[in-house]
This record gives sequence, structure tokens and C-alpha cells, in this order.
Amino acid sequence: MLFLKTDENGNPAGTTTEDSNITFWRAKRRWARVGIVYLVMLVFAVLFVGPLLFAAFSSLKINPLEYPPSLRIAELNPVNWVTAARLGNSGSGNYWSGGFAPGGDIPFDIQYFIPDGVEQQTPEIQVPRRRPGAGLGAVRAIEFAADHAEIHDLRVSDTEIGRHEVEDVERAGRFVTWSFRITYAGDGPKIDRVPVDILAAPQHYYISSTLPASRLERRGRVVSFVDIAPGIGRYVFRNYARLFDEARSVTTGQPLFFAWTRNSFFVSVVRVFTNLLFASMAGYALARYHFRGKFLVFLVLLFSQMVPAQVTFISNYLLLRDGLFGLSNLFGRTSLLNSLWGVIIAGAGSGAAMIEAGKVFIMKQFFETISRDVEEAALIDGANQWQRYSRVVLPIARPALGAVAILTFQGAWNEFFWPFIVLTSPEEVKTLPIGLMSFRQTYGAAGDWGLILSGAILSAIPVIILFVVFQKYFIHGVSFGGSKG
Amino acid sequence: MRIRSVVTMCLVIGLSTIAVLSSFAGGAGEAATPDAPVEIRIMGYGGQDPAIKARLLDEVIGDRLSEQGIVVTYEPLEGDYNAALFNALSAGTAADIIYIPVETAPGIIDTGVVANLNELTDISPFIASLNESYTFNGNTYGIAKDFNTLAMFYNRDLFDEAGVDYPDENTTWEDLDEMIRAIAAIGDDVYGAAFPASFDRFGAFAFAAGWDMFDDDGHSDLTDPAMQEAVEWYTGLVRDGVAVQPSDLGQGWGGGAFATERVGIAFEGAWMLGFLRNEAPNLEFGTAMMPIGPSGERGNFVYTVAYGINSQTRNLEQAIAVLEALTSVDAQQFVLEEGLAIPSREAMSENEYFERGSSESDANRVVFEGAESGRVFGFQFGAVGTDWMTPINAALSEVMTGEASVEQALATAQQDLNELLAR
Amino acid sequence: MKNSLREQLGAWLFLSPFLLTLAVFFVYSTGRAFYFSFTDYNMFSEPQWVGFANYISLFQQSLFLRALQNTVLFSLIVTVVQCFLALVMATVLNQKIRGLGFFRATYYMPSIASSVVITLIFLWMYQRRGLINYLWTEGRRHAPIIVFFLVTVSIIQILQVVIERRRGFPARWVDPALTVMSILIGTAVTAGAWVFGFIAVRDLPPVDFTWLQTRMRIPESPEFLRVPVPLIAIMIQNIFTTIPTLMIMYLTALQDVPKSLYEAAEIDGAGATQRFLNITIPSVRPVTFLVVTLSLIGTLQMFDQVAIFGDAVPLESVITLAYFVYNRMFPGAQLPQVGIASAAAIFLALFTLSLVLIQRLFIKSEVS
Repeated sequence: MLFLKTDENGNPAGTTTEDSNITFWRAKRRWARVGIVYLVMLVFAVLFVGPLLFAAFSSLKINPLEYPPSLRIAELNPVNWVTAARLGNSGSGNYWSGGFAPGGDIPFDIQYFIPDGVEQQTPEIQVPRRRPGAGLGAVRAIEFAADHAEIHDLRVSDTEIGRHEVEDVERAGRFVTWSFRITYAGDGPKIDRVPVDILAAPQHYYISSTLPASRLERRGRVVSFVDIAPGIGRYVFRNYARLFDEARSVTTGQPLFFAWTRNSFFVSVVRVFTNLLFASMAGYALARYHFRGKFLVFLVLLFSQMVPAQVTFISNYLLLRDGLFGLSNLFGRTSLLNSLWGVIIAGAGSGAAMIEAGKVFIMKQFFETISRDVEEAALIDGANQWQRYSRVVLPIARPALGAVAILTFQGAWNEFFWPFIVLTSPEEVKTLPIGLMSFRQTYGAAGDWGLILSGAILSAIPVIILFVVFQKYFIHGVSFGGSKG
Repeated sequence: MRIRSVVTMCLVIGLSTIAVLSSFAGGAGEAATPDAPVEIRIMGYGGQDPAIKARLLDEVIGDRLSEQGIVVTYEPLEGDYNAALFNALSAGTAADIIYIPVETAPGIIDTGVVANLNELTDISPFIASLNESYTFNGNTYGIAKDFNTLAMFYNRDLFDEAGVDYPDENTTWEDLDEMIRAIAAIGDDVYGAAFPASFDRFGAFAFAAGWDMFDDDGHSDLTDPAMQEAVEWYTGLVRDGVAVQPSDLGQGWGGGAFATERVGIAFEGAWMLGFLRNEAPNLEFGTAMMPIGPSGERGNFVYTVAYGINSQTRNLEQAIAVLEALTSVDAQQFVLEEGLAIPSREAMSENEYFERGSSESDANRVVFEGAESGRVFGFQFGAVGTDWMTPINAALSEVMTGEASVEQALATAQQDLNELLAR
Repeated sequence: MKNSLREQLGAWLFLSPFLLTLAVFFVYSTGRAFYFSFTDYNMFSEPQWVGFANYISLFQQSLFLRALQNTVLFSLIVTVVQCFLALVMATVLNQKIRGLGFFRATYYMPSIASSVVITLIFLWMYQRRGLINYLWTEGRRHAPIIVFFLVTVSIIQILQVVIERRRGFPARWVDPALTVMSILIGTAVTAGAWVFGFIAVRDLPPVDFTWLQTRMRIPESPEFLRVPVPLIAIMIQNIFTTIPTLMIMYLTALQDVPKSLYEAAEIDGAGATQRFLNITIPSVRPVTFLVVTLSLIGTLQMFDQVAIFGDAVPLESVITLAYFVYNRMFPGAQLPQVGIASAAAIFLALFTLSLVLIQRLFIKSEVS
């Protein structure tokens, strides 16, 4: 504490020692507080983003419900990347997406521990005819690797004496490695994946293999690999590839995820445009004009924000069902249910999804903050009402329009209740959130978490990008939206 | 100037309205020409059904129908089929032929839009108990497409490891009790059986104990001793830790639990087969009839879906032709041999498919025979539909988790059920 | 402005698209729901006028009463917890330091994604052998270490404060500078004790708490306060996703509070808690009104999570008024009960309005 004895200017301590001591002491306290604030903020960050990141990492696993949940993920191990790329290349000449094509020749090793006193038996290797997925994927006619695969050169390539812990007891025995090759016999189509099952005799304990086993079955006797020639891309992003391979439309065979994404984009973009145009027009009128019934309109607008969506959806559902008083018959549809236009035109909650009352409110608030002088100037120029609005007012309103656009997009992209009511069938007509939810049902309540998590993560990416790019508008939007109560 | 502004605004509004409206026009319907083939629409389940229907039409009945000038389109309703069907029916957009699940048949028929088939076609070749489920006041509203019952699926590896004999058609509750305990003794992570806290499986055990769902007045008595006995046996095994609820293994149903290879027995129907093919292709399983209960008989549910005809169809004659083709002998033969479903025609029991001796054909045979062995009831609960099961499910769950005694839980359930039935 | 007729016409033209949709999809719809609520209607036959029968029937249905109870508990608990936590977080974040923008963006992440994405991820975490039970297990296993660490830190902190006060410095019990030292020393001591085996991880079986497929309710009594466990699971998720939005609203308000107020208070010797109670809370009162209103409206209408959890949880454990309406409108295997659904929806609307009005009386708003 020697340095405490000089003051800020480095002067020898005198009568000011006590003061400079306390100043330093306070400075120390300030710095420590900053440190603690950062620490707390870091803890919050882990708390809020941790679950999402953990889910994102787990979506790469074959079994995202693995217990204990671990971040040591085989799919993120660079050693396995190299192996997967090598195997992919030997299967089809493709390092990235692997597969099995004519000329494919995949070498593979598997090691077992066999305790002393157990007779060594050669495991049985099989390329099973396995359909991917349950429900949806099972419909498609696919080629099976089993029809083209031949297994060659199954032999013991290495034996090593050693000890290994088996059911909590360390036992003496030997580590035996079997090697084999799987080749593509003759000519034929390229096949996406090569599943392999290896059945060993009892008390042959699986140790390791070229690629880690996907799972153990039949009380550990069967070591199962979903794909032994994945290539690096299919190995790391297996569940994401499955998302497109397996969840397909039963009628068109197209990946449902594409259809859902397209629908979500369509609904969101159309709603952004309709809201920008109509909400700004209405907001402008409410902010600038004096007319009879203005108060009533405003009152209904406020009220519409308070009435729950459950009140209006009943009638709106029936309106769509009957094609909006039969108007939709003009366009060859008897009903607007299961139609994206139905989602856009009507809405639950405050009126129509294409002109949301909340957005009108934001625009009204904004127009009230800008000065009339600019408009008056235009008035003198002889511009008419529409020109005044479109040439003078709208350009100034860019920040509010930005907030409306971003908020509408995010709201439409994430909306659940109304599309859930309107879009029920077929699968192709759904938006992303509704489609994702049907995933959970299709694969049973327990679910195929690999697909569910990867679908959830993928569907969140557009709004996350939007957020990262337009962060300011979001934060603005919250304070705008906040003023609607 | 001012007038121009009003005109411009009108134009903007008008044009955008037209733009919005005209984009509907995408799906404009084509006008039907008089000699075009008649289209018969079928509304049914999603999942694998569309593929099955496509093959059935392609390979078996399509040619015959097109000779009669009929084109069939299949419209799968994904997700909650019943809700989607009610929507379509109320909107008047339902297809000519609709699937009628047995558990919701009373509700669907209540809408008054399903045609009575008695006068329209011959229903006698179909299994009588299936027809009964669709007969109300002497009118029959549906012909079963196929059906399912419950069977015991057992994991051979676990039975071998525990050194217990496999179950067979003579297995009683006492035998089963021993098997379950023996398998549970293998290790901490292994259970003898999966018992979901749900009447859709437990019901078979209640029937085996001699319980009836409804008395003559349409009243359900949960305090009946037979019911008590069944609940005690079923939940007792779970409370003893030798059987397990599928949800405790992170699974939604018995089949899911079975596929984890951690339970010895699951009580499910032939829908297990497709699931196991995908999820546990290496699992060695066998199938046996449901166990014989204290009543000296086994109990079982019949789950079925029927084809019904929308009474508002404009092409009744053709719709019936399609219905008859779909339920014809060769159509059912095809479906059975492909291992897709179990046929509803009585005469199919002699089919040689059942004698093939594979795990799957055995399972299909056991499920087929289940419909006519012991106390068998349709999976149907009157006008309240599957809501009827909710109080019993709650009671089972409460007893299994130790939140209530059997008597308490059943008394509460009885109250809730009375309230439900009084609605 | 001049030429009022033309102006009037212009106003109505600007408003017309909005008014048209508002009239059809809000005014007409609300009116129709009101009308349906007095009828017996199943979508197949014509509505029959039944007077107040639907409303009376609602209060005789145990499912509705459970929905009402769940909704009230959910709304009150979630609103209180999330508004309080959001304010605390905003206070912590209300600092002029670098990187604030980054952290603020990070916290906002859970509010960005759709309810389906978040709910599916939580559903995954709530599995019996899922992340939440795993963290719980690890927490219990490491309890000796955590307790040892906390006790050590407290002892060191007390020692330091006593010493500093002896030396004549105005040290507070949670003085940041000393806390940092205490944490550092505490970590070192704990690590040492762990390495040398004075304390060890306990060997406990994994926690297998059932979050979803359970009808358990806590606490045991009183009856009206018993919250079903799956509903608690949804509460946790809801708080997690809503806090960021509310926090940002608070943060905006806090940034307007003059720094000098805090500095003056600090010179007067007010601690962090005192400053929070005496400066922060009063100065954000208008925003609190807003935040509580939004939170109430949001939680009273909770629907998404119930629908997405679906058959993974027993319906009566999580059913809310909003879901009850849907459930009666589309009861699956039965004829739709549009009348009952409408009555429940109208009830929900009135309930929401009156709660918002009541809270307005409690928190006096200075704006609006």
C-alpha cells in the first residue's frame, strides 16, 4: 500500500493523504462494480441464450435426449469429421454429402473386448433395408443400399491383450478388431446412405469403430450405424438433412419444410406491405384530420386491443369457412379455410391481419409527433391530399414505417393462434410454426427430437438474422408497442 | 386539383383491393364437361394412408373403377382428423366418402350428414362386431375399412435373459404378474411391462375383470368391484416398480417404451409393426393374445375406422361403387398381404398369409383373432367421445403416482364422469 | 384546414380500408360472438336462443372452473414474477459501460423466436431425463461445494469489511471492491478444499422429476392456490421469454432517470437496495402500469403453450380460458359447442377488462 502515500500528481503525501486515500478507495469500488456488472450480465447472457444454444448443439446429435446431456458431441469432433469425409469419399467420391454409388468401396473397422474364457465369434455384418423416418418419409419409394451392397474381407485385423472394465468389474481379456469392406456391386443409382448393423455374440463388448456407433440395440449385442458413408456434411448436419429428406408432402413428394418456409415468407411479406400502406393511411387520417366520428373510431381501435383473440376468432373462422359471404366464389373457392389468403385477410384479435389496429396506433402516434409546417408548405405548393401524404409525409415517416415493417414481419413469422385455426390440412398449406407443431404429433408425443429441434432452430434463423440487422428497430418497436396500452 | 386527389385515392384503394382479391383466383375451378369422368373424393387419415390408397388404386381397383367412368381422389386430413372432418362437414366441403373413426362415430353420425347404408349395399360379409359399432337405431352408417385389437408384444431377448417362458394364449394375470416381476429383476433400468395410465389400453384389463362400460341406462359405474380389482392389479405393478408408465421412460405410448428395449411387454395393436420396422428393426419380438383375467376370459378393444358416405354427395351411385371396390375381397387381400392392415371381412380368417410364421404375420393373426376372443368391446364411448376416458385416465395416473388411493381416485372419477354424462 | 367537406371525404377515404376490416373482422365478429353466447349452436343446425343458459352451464363445468383457476394463478404469478425480475435486471443493466448493446441484444433472443420454437425447446428440456432435471441433479450433487463456497465468501467478506472499517473507510456489507476480492479468495479456497478432498461431490441418483405427464399440484393446500406442476413448467417458460421485452421497456424508462439522483443518494450513504426502493421504483411507475397491463393481457390469454404441449401433459393441468374456448369450438370427437365457446370467450374478455381496470386503481398512472 506504499503508493497510497502519493496523491494524483505524485506529490509526497501530506495533509491530502487521507483525501487521496478515500478517492482511490472510491475509484477501486467503481471499478469493482463495473467488474461485477459484467459478471452479472454474463450470467444473464448464459441464462437467456444458454438453453437455445444448447438446443442448437443438441440438434446435431443422433439422440438429443442422451443422458447425461453432454456438450462433448461426436458430430463436433474434428477427428470424426475427417473420418466421415474419408468414408463419404470412398462410398461415392463425395467428401461433403457422402452416399453410396457404383464403384463405392467403404473400409470399416470395429473393435470388441472379449473377456478371458469367452469364445471369440466373428460378428455378423448386415446392411439392413431400413426406411428413413416414421409417417411421412415412409411413403416415398426409395432405393435401399441393401440391394447393392456386398460385404468383403471380414477378418480379424488386430488382437491386443488388455484389461477392461465390464459392468463395474475390471476383467482381463483381449481387444479384437475386425475389418471389412462394403462395396457397391455392379451398376445402379446413387443411394443416400448405408446403414449397417453388426450383431456380435453375447459378452463381446463394443469398444470402438471407425465412426462411433449410432446406437446399441438388443441389450448391446447389435451395434447400429445409421450411415457409414456420410461425408462431413451429412455427418454433422444429419438431422437437418433428414428434415428435408424425410418430411415430405404425401402428394407432391416435395420437402414440407420448403413449402412451410415459402408460406411463412408469403404471409409475412404480404402483411408487411398491406400494413405499411393501409396502417399508415389510417394513422395519418387519425392524426391529422378532424372529422365526425373520429373519437368513436379511436375508441373502437383502443377497445380492439383489449378484446382477446378468442372472442373474434369464432366469427372470423365462420366467415372464412363460408368464403367471406360467398365472395371467394368469384375466385373459384368455396371456402377460405386452409388458404394463406384467409390467414392474411381476416385475423384473430384486433381485426384483420392485413391491417392491424396496433400498427395503425403506432403510425398515429408517430404522425402526431411531426410538425404540421412541412405539410402546410406543401399545401401552399398546391399539392392535393394524396400528394401531400405520399410525397411529403411518408418520406418523413421512415423510422415509424421501419418499426411497423419489422414488427409486422416478426409477428407474422411467429404467429401461432390464427394460422393454427385456419390452416389444418394438407400439410403443404401450413406456415412454419404450425408445420413444426405437426412434426411433434406425426412422430408421436415423445417425438423424434432430432427432427423437432433441427426444425425449430432452422425456422428461427430468419427472424434472428432480421433482429441482428435491424436491432434498433426492434428496440424502438418495443417502446412503440409499449405505448399502446 | 382536389378532385384529382380524391380520384387518385380511390384508384389506390380500388387497385389494391383488386390486386388482393384477384390473387385468390389461383385456384379457379374448371367447369365440368358432361362426359368427363365422375370424380369421387375420399377424405381420410394422413400418415401412410395416402400411399396405401395410391397403391390400392394403382394395382387393384383403379382399372375397374375407371371402366365405370369414376376417378378417385384421396384427400388426407393431417393432424387432428376429427376436427378437420367436422370443419369440412359443417362447411359443406366434405368429400363423397369419409373415414369414420369408431370412437367419434356417434358424434359424426349425429350431424345427420352420413348416409344410412342398409338399403344401399350388403353389409353381411363383414365381421358382425365391427358392423355393430356403426349401427344406431337399426341403421348402419359405415363399413369397417380394417380393424385392430390389442395383443401382448414381448421382447424375446429380455425373456431369455430373465429365463422365463414366453407368454401364450393361456397366460393368466397371475402368470403375467410373475413374468413381469422376473423381467424387472434383470436390472434397474429394465421393467416387466409398459402400463400407460390410459383407458385406451387399461380398458382391456377392466373387461377381463368382468367390468362393463355402460349399464342399460347408459350409466358408467366405476365403483364396481370388478373395476376396483382391475385398477388395483394394473396400478399395483407400477407402484411396485416392476412395470412402468411409458411417460416415465420419456415415451408417449407403450410402443415407444417397447422400442427402447427397456420393457418386457407392451400391450398394443398391429400399428406396432410399422413402428418397430422403423424404430427398432433389430428387436426380436413375439406376440400373444391378451392375458386371461379374473372373469376367466380375456378382454379386448376393437379399434376400427369405417368408410361412410356423405349424404349430400351428388354422385351417390358412383360413391357406392367406390365403397364396394374399396372393401372388396381382392382389395382386402392386397392390403393384408402387404402387411398394411387387417381386413374386416369375416372370411379372411382362413387366409394363408396368417400362416407364414414371421413375427409380423403372427402378430397380425393374433390381432385378427383378438376380435372374437373373450369380452371384446368397440372403442366407443357414446356422444361424449373420448372425453369419457379422461376421468379414468386421471384416476389411473393419480393411483400410479401415489397421489390417491384406488377408492379415492375412483370416487373422484365417478363424480367427474357423472358430470360429463349429464352435459 | 379549409374546405371541410373535401377534408372529411379525404379522411374517410384514407381510413376506409382499415375501417372496413375493423368493421367486419372486429365489430361484427365481437357482436356475433356476443349473440352466439346466448344461443345453442353446433354449426350444423341454426342457432337456438337459450338466454343465459350457456353462462350458467359454464360455472357448472369442472373443466371451465379448472381453466379459470389455472388462468388466474398463471396470470398473477407470472405477472408479479416477471415484472419484478425485469425491473431488477433493467436496474443492473442501466450502466454506462461498453458492450451494453451487445448484452441487450443477447437477452432479447428468447423474445425473437416464435412461441412454437421456444415451447418445443422447453418441451425437450422438460423431458424426464432432460436438461432441467440434469441441472437439478448436478446442483444437488454439488451442493456441498456450493454451500462451502458461499459460506467461505461470506466469512471473508465480513472479515474484510471489519478490517476496512477499522482503517476508517466507509465500507458497506456488500461493497463491490471487497466482494470481488471475497469471490476470488473464496473460489481459490473452495478449489483447494475440493482438490484436497475436504469437500466432495455427493453421489446421488439422477433427479427424475416429472414436469409434464403428471397431475401433481403444489402446494398441498389451500385448494385455490394449488398450481399443477405442468402449469409451473409453462410459467417458467413464459417468464423466460417475456422478461427481455419488459426489461427493455424498463431500461428505456430508467435511462431517463437523472443519474444525479443516484449519485446524491449514494453520497448520502443509501445502499443499492435503498436506492432501488426509493428512486428506481417510484420513477418508473408509469412504465410499471404499462408493463403490468401488457403482462396481464398476455398471460390471461395464454394459448400457444397449452396447444403446443398438447398431449404431452394432462389437459386439465394446463387448460386456460383461452384454450377452453378453442376446445369447445373444436372438441374433436363431438359436435362443436359454439354457444359455450362464445360465452367463455365473452367471459374472458370481461375478465381481462376488469382486471386491467382494477390494477389501474392500484398502480396510479401518471401518463395517459
